[in-house]
Amino acid sequence: MRRTDKKIMVAAFCLALALCLSGCSSQETPAQPNAAAGFAPELDTKTVGSINVVGHYNNFEALEEEFNRFNQYYPEVKLSYTYLDNYSGILETALNSADAPDIYFVYPSMSGRENGEGVYASAENLADPSLRIGLDCIRESLLYKGQSGSVYSVPVYTTTYGMLVNEAIFEKEKLSVPKTYEELMTVCEALKKAGYESPVMSFNQNSFLLLPLYYPYFCAQLQASPDALREVNAMTPAAADTVRPILEQAEDFMKRGLISLENCNQLENDYNAVIMRFFEGDVPMMLATANTVSGTEKRESQSEAFTAHPFRYSFHPVPSTKDGGYFVNSISMGFAVNKNSKNLAITNEFMRFLVSSEELNRMARAKRMVTPCKDMALDEVYASFGSLSSDRIINLSELELSSAADWQVRKAVWQVCNGGMTVDEAIAAFGTIE
Amino acid sequence: MKKSLMILGNVLIVLLILTFLTFYTSSEHRRLLASQTEAFENMTVAMENVTTNYLLGEQQVCRSWANYINASHMTAQEAIDFVGASVTAPEIMAHILFTDRAELSGISTVPKAGSDGDFAVSYANINIFSGGFEELLGKESTVNVTRAYTNPTNAIQSIAFCSPITLLETPEGPSREAVLLRIIPVASFEQRWTFPTEDYRSAEVSLIDLEGNYIIHGHSFKNTNFYEFYQSYNHAGRAHMEEVKQSVSGRPGTLVLSNAQGQQCLAAHTRVNSTDHWILVTMIPMSQLGRTAMDWILIVIISVGLLALLAFNIMWLVRLNRQLKAAAAEAERANQAKTDFLSTMSHDIRTPMNAIIGLTAIAEKNVEDSRTVRESLHKISLAGSHLLTLINDILDISKVESGKLSLSPVTFSIVECAENLINLSQPMVREKNIDFNFRVNRFEHEYLYADQLRINQIFINLLSNALKYTEPGGRVSVDLREETGDSDSTVRLIYRVADTGIGMTPEFMAKMYQPFSRQTDSRVNTIQGTGLGLAITWQMIDLMHGSIDCQSELGKGTVFTVTLCLPLADKPAEEMKLDPIRVLIADDDEVLLTTAKDTLLSLGAQADTALSGAEAVRMASGGETYQVVILDWKMPDMDGIEVARKIRESVGSQVPILLISAYDWSDLEEAAKDAGISGFISKPLFRSTLYEKLSEALGKAKNNANQEDDKSDIAGMRILVAEDNDINWEIISMLLSMHGITAERAENGQLAVDRMTHAEKGDFDLIFMDIQMPVMNGLDAARAIRALPDPWAAGIPIIAMTADAFSENVAECIAAGMNGHIAKPIDMKLVLKEIRRIREEQKK
Repeated sequence: MRRTDKKIMVAAFCLALALCLSGCSSQETPAQPNAAAGFAPELDTKTVGSINVVGHYNNFEALEEEFNRFNQYYPEVKLSYTYLDNYSGILETALNSADAPDIYFVYPSMSGRENGEGVYASAENLADPSLRIGLDCIRESLLYKGQSGSVYSVPVYTTTYGMLVNEAIFEKEKLSVPKTYEELMTVCEALKKAGYESPVMSFNQNSFLLLPLYYPYFCAQLQASPDALREVNAMTPAAADTVRPILEQAEDFMKRGLISLENCNQLENDYNAVIMRFFEGDVPMMLATANTVSGTEKRESQSEAFTAHPFRYSFHPVPSTKDGGYFVNSISMGFAVNKNSKNLAITNEFMRFLVSSEELNRMARAKRMVTPCKDMALDEVYASFGSLSSDRIINLSELELSSAADWQVRKAVWQVCNGGMTVDEAIAAFGTIE
Repeated sequence: MKKSLMILGNVLIVLLILTFLTFYTSSEHRRLLASQTEAFENMTVAMENVTTNYLLGEQQVCRSWANYINASHMTAQEAIDFVGASVTAPEIMAHILFTDRAELSGISTVPKAGSDGDFAVSYANINIFSGGFEELLGKESTVNVTRAYTNPTNAIQSIAFCSPITLLETPEGPSREAVLLRIIPVASFEQRWTFPTEDYRSAEVSLIDLEGNYIIHGHSFKNTNFYEFYQSYNHAGRAHMEEVKQSVSGRPGTLVLSNAQGQQCLAAHTRVNSTDHWILVTMIPMSQLGRTAMDWILIVIISVGLLALLAFNIMWLVRLNRQLKAAAAEAERANQAKTDFLSTMSHDIRTPMNAIIGLTAIAEKNVEDSRTVRESLHKISLAGSHLLTLINDILDISKVESGKLSLSPVTFSIVECAENLINLSQPMVREKNIDFNFRVNRFEHEYLYADQLRINQIFINLLSNALKYTEPGGRVSVDLREETGDSDSTVRLIYRVADTGIGMTPEFMAKMYQPFSRQTDSRVNTIQGTGLGLAITWQMIDLMHGSIDCQSELGKGTVFTVTLCLPLADKPAEEMKLDPIRVLIADDDEVLLTTAKDTLLSLGAQADTALSGAEAVRMASGGETYQVVILDWKMPDMDGIEVARKIRESVGSQVPILLISAYDWSDLEEAAKDAGISGFISKPLFRSTLYEKLSEALGKAKNNANQEDDKSDIAGMRILVAEDNDINWEIISMLLSMHGITAERAENGQLAVDRMTHAEKGDFDLIFMDIQMPVMNGLDAARAIRALPDPWAAGIPIIAMTADAFSENVAECIAAGMNGHIAKPIDMKLVLKEIRRIREEQKK
């Protein structure tokens, strides 16, 4: 063997040995943060602390993913999420307790957000410029600002009304997803003829029945007419002009026999029961909210019927007019920061990390909710909402429909649908319906 | 072995190792995993014991409080005051709930957080009793504990131990039913669940009820129900879920499941003995369990290493194969060349051998016809010489190929060298009637220090090639000149041979220095040659750090130019001075005339030159008196003999006339003498040659011409010849006896040693020693003789006479104590020269 050859062999073995030895190294390469490309830590990344988020979700895996991503920057910070029983009832107690949470869920129904009262009394003003939280990534209409420009909560998820469509049935019956009210009627009739007892189903408690059908249209009427809105809020007889059409529409829908009350009454709740029933595979259209849609993916594997015969499904606006449906957007849940938090600095850092299009969109996708961000990155199940023109998008928070009037409308429709009242009776009783 | 077979073998071995490694580690992994699974299950059971003891203890405290309250007939306030006073740990509190109220309200031992002394408590919106109060409280023997819930007093996740109590509405009033809750934060409870080893640091614990609802919810246990959690992330059907439920609610055991992150986890479960509806479930990622058992990184590294080794080996093998193939092809080529060479040799050897054998037969048949015998012997001699040249060439190329060609520098005369060259070339020049010119220009130094033998070989090879490959009637010119060397002690010797021969093609010129190369040409094939001459020449020139240049054109001729830088010998130039004589020199070669005139002037003579025979006649017949006339033999108008005859007519017989010729003059000697030629001078006209011949012509120097024939100096010598071969002995003894030398034979080395051991001083003058002999070889014999006690015997000159003719053989002989070396077949001239050398040394 020539000397050159020997040198080559020795060099090759040395290289192999070096590779092996480097491979044997026990030191692990630190994880490279891939979160939030625009985020740069402002605190010492070795900061030790804890952040506790409380809410009413039994689990919050989307948030836990964000915890993991935040830990890539701050590995010594322990983040946790705690479910609280009777959340609305106990939140103030929790905020006053020794183990007060650092971040807590807030909902539009919780009063005082404009003025920092009630549960918001403990909330930090997230619009404080010193916090440098990127609120500008959120749709303006979803940020409740006080007179001084203060913002006490950040919307995390928003919701809307619509219908879950079993695409397999539509394909089987050679039907298209309806885009107008007339098409909806035609499709329902066709499905009825094809043997579907209840082409449309809906949860029938808490005045929800047909809510996704009429409510967006009702809101659109109010948005278009401030006078009508004023009258409805005042629940005067003049509001009848606005309320009657939706009552008649609901009555008409029921009379056509396109929805089986008996079937709907079997749905125990508007979440798990609705989803599992839809996954049975024999419901062409299930009226629901985005909150319900958020639970679909996880329950696919829980449904034996769906596992045995999976099908494609999607969420669409309910075409309540001849021009189609609406995208009624409202806050589903938001975060408020406890200003008395023992870990306020790192909590604010977490909020600075979280409030960005990238992270909030990621959370929305993880839970199949609608993002509050301006760029509206929707999950594919919501694809049809993305094609709606801007004049068909209604921000419920801007509408200023009073809660009382809102509930009167819902109750009126529910009574009509369930045969408790006629349209006239409901109009007459509007404002006083129990 | 075929390459593919070898690679396949390598691949199989590597695969075998990897398979074994994988199987072995997998088996180890399974074994250790099973062991760790069992350990984890046991740990879960142990944890259940801890849990049971803890629950029983806490339940007992709660029950004691209840018993005391019941026995003491307390009002609600008295009871809560009692319990409040009994609580020792700050994190523990108690609630009393009135079961007769639908909204499940009551009072607490501590006020609601953030309130100003509000002790009221409500469980209206908290479903902590999934089975209902009746079921929970109806079992005295078990632990009555709630699921983990949010304590409405302080919003801390807690569990509560329950005991029914009976209270008085007023101190005197009716009694009412209530439940006493001893509330403990889950965090305090969880502190009891300390995993015993660091290996389980990722393990988590949950408590579930028989339906799978979480009582205490571990972080990684998702959903609100364990079975829902299982189903969500493991895509289990109804039947499978039933199996899971049966398994979990049955005996202690384990199951493997995917968690929310898709990790494979091991879950161990065991019923909590202190309750009849709780199950303790622990869960740990499998990667945590398998980590110590299976070092995948190591396996991957070994696999990659082996594969890299395999790839490296294959590459190496392929490379080696390629080299071997190239070497085999080279060997094949060499082998083919040698086969061709042997074929040629066979022909070349058989040809002279045929002549030798045939002519010997002719001589035998005509032994009475002396002329035929003489002619046959002459031709046999020529054939023998050719055979010897052939053998020498083969030996030389053998040395070249083995890299053992070495130089043996000696002091030699370039004049002798040139003379020798001319002598050797004469037969062929004459035979082919070649116009042969040998010119020497500006030659100042006669003696040089170099390997004379090799220089001769170079010169002869090139010249003989020129003569061989020049058609009859062609022209061959040799120029030998001296130039200033790199230093004062060296000269640059330039040897140029030009011919008008067949020339060479550029293709052949590119490989002409390779051994066994001969140009493919019908004309060449008829010419004897080994194809080794140029290869040997090139090697020798290279060895002497010289250069060789070749210009050739097919059909027009070839010019070889050799340049050698050689050291001057220490031998001083002989003082050469002639009397102030006048010399006439005639030649048609102007260059020769110029150089000859210069040389004669340097010798002290005055020279006149004539460019033709007629001019020489005229000048000699003129007024000038020349002491010597030198004439070229071949001049265009008149040859030298004719010129001499005419000059002799006018100058008489006293003036010596010398004839210059590069040719052998034996054939013209008679005619020359008849024409009055006094002697011959061979070209080239070296200074020493001219001095010697002119001195001789003028009667100044002794005539050594017949010295070789003078045997008086060596006659009577006695030589011991150690020779085992009878014929060789016969030849040498005969040849020596022809020179009056007595030879005595020893058949082997031992006999030679014995003979010398007993010899008297003067018995022998020297020993000729063969090397390869039976009993004792020549080298050992020489060493033995040198070791003899008698100084005369030990110092006797020993000359090796052997067919071992390589330089290393010569060196071996000298190392063994010998004084010289003569190669067989013996050249008698060399033998005599060697004998005389020894003789001279003995005289000194």
